[in-house]
Amino acid sequence: MTQDLVTDADGRLVIDVRGPRVGAAITSVVLGTALIVQGPVGTGLVAWQWLAFAIAAFAGLRWSPYGRLFRAAKRRFDLGPPPATEPEGPPRFAQLCGFAVASVGLVLFAVGASTAGWVAVGLVLALSLLLAATGLCIGCELYLIGQRLRARSSARAGGGD
Amino acid sequence: MDPLLLRVLLVGVLVLGVLALGWLWRRRDGAVRTAAGDARLAADHLAAIGLDLRDAEAGAVLLGSPTCAPCDTVKAVLGDLAGERHGFRWVYADAAEHLPIAEEHRVLRVPTLLVVAPDGRIVARTSGVPRHDDLRRVLAEVGAAA
Repeated sequence: MTQDLVTDADGRLVIDVRGPRVGAAITSVVLGTALIVQGPVGTGLVAWQWLAFAIAAFAGLRWSPYGRLFRAAKRRFDLGPPPATEPEGPPRFAQLCGFAVASVGLVLFAVGASTAGWVAVGLVLALSLLLAATGLCIGCELYLIGQRLRARSSARAGGGD
Repeated sequence: MDPLLLRVLLVGVLVLGVLALGWLWRRRDGAVRTAAGDARLAADHLAAIGLDLRDAEAGAVLLGSPTCAPCDTVKAVLGDLAGERHGFRWVYADAAEHLPIAEEHRVLRVPTLLVVAPDGRIVARTSGVPRHDDLRRVLAEVGAAA
């Protein structure tokens, strides 16, 4: 069900700010458990999280499994209207960052460098925890810096004086 | 030691470390830093962002970006303060469209707020969402000096 999704005037998805934090909390539990149990179960959990990142980053946050879970919980428990909304861009980019680092972790597992792989998983876990606990989203900040770098390079490419 | 216990400890240390970092960051975020130097917004920069300081007691420029959610919160704070102090003027500027300003004043994050005296001198800056009272105090000081 996507009927409760809102888009802005340009047709971009606008999301409840609580969504990414709930998602980050779930991610933290999944990756924290993976880091503790390790072995095939741990690797499986990392693979699941990798898939969740991939769906959110490439298909959009409207398809994010944790986002759907949050919206279902919102309807079921009547959590009230969003305290604030935000554009999809920055948190979606953050999911892409999570996807990239989780991919590195899985590749390291595949080549047998499992300790290095778990370090990569630990990094994703740390960033998810930070977002869940404090609302600070490093991936979102990177997106904003990236936007400015893009604007600068396009200004140069435009050949202005 | 049992490797499982070791990993539980490791994750526990990671959780505590991240919480401590997050707490420190939250304390710093939005803090109003007063500037004693004589860095100022150049006249052509003021013109570029459309901030007219004639007959003003104090001014401010909010550097933001279209997809930045906290920027809207800062806009609301500035709107409240402009309602309280008639000599206070503020403008919003997209940091990506005003790169010379962002680069000259080393603006790394949005939202960044630069509070200026009527002569364009930067008296304070904040990154993140500042608290009403902190900004009120700065504006009162600038207003008293003007």
